[in-house]
Amino acid sequence: MESSEKELIIKAQNGDSIAFEQLVYYYDKAVLSIALRYVRDTDDAKDIYQEVFIRVFRGLKKFEFRSEFSTWLFRITTNVCITFKSRKKEQMIVSLQEQIDDDQTGYETIDMISKERSPEEETSGNDLRFLIGNAVDSLSARQRITFVLKHYEGYKIREIAEMLNCKEGTVKKYLFDATNNLKKKLKPLNAFQT
Amino acid sequence: MSHNEFKQMIQLSLYGELSDDKQKKLISHLESCEECRLELEHQKKIMMLIADHKNLEVNEELLKEARIQLRGALRQERNNRSSVYSFTNYIFQLFSTPPRLAFAALSVLILGIIIGSNFIGRGEITAPEKNPEFTNASMFDNDLRISNVQFIDSNPTDGEIEFTFEAAKQVHYKGSVNDPRVQSFLTYAMLNDQNPGSRLNSINAMDTYKKLSLDKEVKNALITVVMTDKNAGVRREALKLMNRTAFDESLKQAYLYVLLNDSSSALRIEALNALIEANKNGHSLDRNDLDLVVKQANQDDNNYIKLKSKTLLQEYN
Repeated sequence: MESSEKELIIKAQNGDSIAFEQLVYYYDKAVLSIALRYVRDTDDAKDIYQEVFIRVFRGLKKFEFRSEFSTWLFRITTNVCITFKSRKKEQMIVSLQEQIDDDQTGYETIDMISKERSPEEETSGNDLRFLIGNAVDSLSARQRITFVLKHYEGYKIREIAEMLNCKEGTVKKYLFDATNNLKKKLKPLNAFQT
Repeated sequence: MSHNEFKQMIQLSLYGELSDDKQKKLISHLESCEECRLELEHQKKIMMLIADHKNLEVNEELLKEARIQLRGALRQERNNRSSVYSFTNYIFQLFSTPPRLAFAALSVLILGIIIGSNFIGRGEITAPEKNPEFTNASMFDNDLRISNVQFIDSNPTDGEIEFTFEAAKQVHYKGSVNDPRVQSFLTYAMLNDQNPGSRLNSINAMDTYKKLSLDKEVKNALITVVMTDKNAGVRREALKLMNRTAFDESLKQAYLYVLLNDSSSALRIEALNALIEANKNGHSLDRNDLDLVVKQANQDDNNYIKLKSKTLLQEYN
């Protein structure tokens, strides 16, 4: 019979490395997914993944079941994501606006989505992804993690609030601000001109 | 209710997180408000764009790589904990009985004597009168080096000062390489000594002994060194010594890690050879491991590794 999560946690707290590994395997794909979509770089995502589980390993003895383990784990994940990006701020890609100002390719891509795309044009989908990715990158750390958790990972606002340890209203505000900022960043796209 | 509030409600509605009451209110408002209808269209378009952009998925290979790296990091974490614990225990045991009390007594005594002599070494070192239980000054017959004195309060206006310091004592120890305490010390040194020469000597001290018997802690420490030491020479000696231990899953993961990640081609070759040797001895690789070997066979810039990897793969096909 497979051990329950609580049993695994207790075993891991008592130094059982196999139990800890099983616990990791329950959640690690979700952690890696959040990290990957947050940083959009596999090496950085692996660094975040590792830091998250090292912190879990170090802090597990103090975990007292006052919250769900997953809530605690994802709270660590969001914290590591937020601080990771601030450490690597200097490496952030230039903002979407700068990209569009400096690079004619940006205009071509923007024009492209205002009409039906041919199969040939579809091959430039990577450029569009790049533009959107940059727009998402330009969000503040908290707006971005909220946006990633909602749009890419599909968590409920209540769940995100638990992860970020804040009120649901704050999450709604982050999401609303994120969307407004994205609209501004993507304004050159015809679709968003008013 | 303002347009801004309705715009927030539009977003929540698209997420499916708006209450029924508010949903009705929003629909009613949209019927009469051109601005908010436009906002709804914009938000829908943003969501569609973002949904198209959802191209970053975690694949099995990435997950496996992350897990291998995590195992290495956790192993180091565990070894750091256990080696510090063992080393501390070992140091305590070097002092007379009861060890911890003696060590604590030693620290307090040093502190008292230094305060008593007022830092200028006036007269003989004697135990302070306020601590009559610590009168065994013979403890100071050994070469105890005091360094890094840090003052917390250096202004004796009330007659008292406060400070911290580090006390180091040279220890001479002789014993069999198979002695657990010796191995514990060498393990601590190979993991923590700042000097790569000392780390290397700690490994070599064990490697040169033919009747060596290594416990699990040493084996784990060797795996950690192989995966994390910054010095390629130290990693290579650790890998050689690791080869003398019984092959198991942890060793396999370590070899795969080295094969995929080590910057030294010599180490990658050693790791690959170890996997080939293990395969000959009946420790076959599973599908995921083979995928990693295939990846290496395609990516490695060393022709020998490419060739050897392909040879290993052929044995499975």
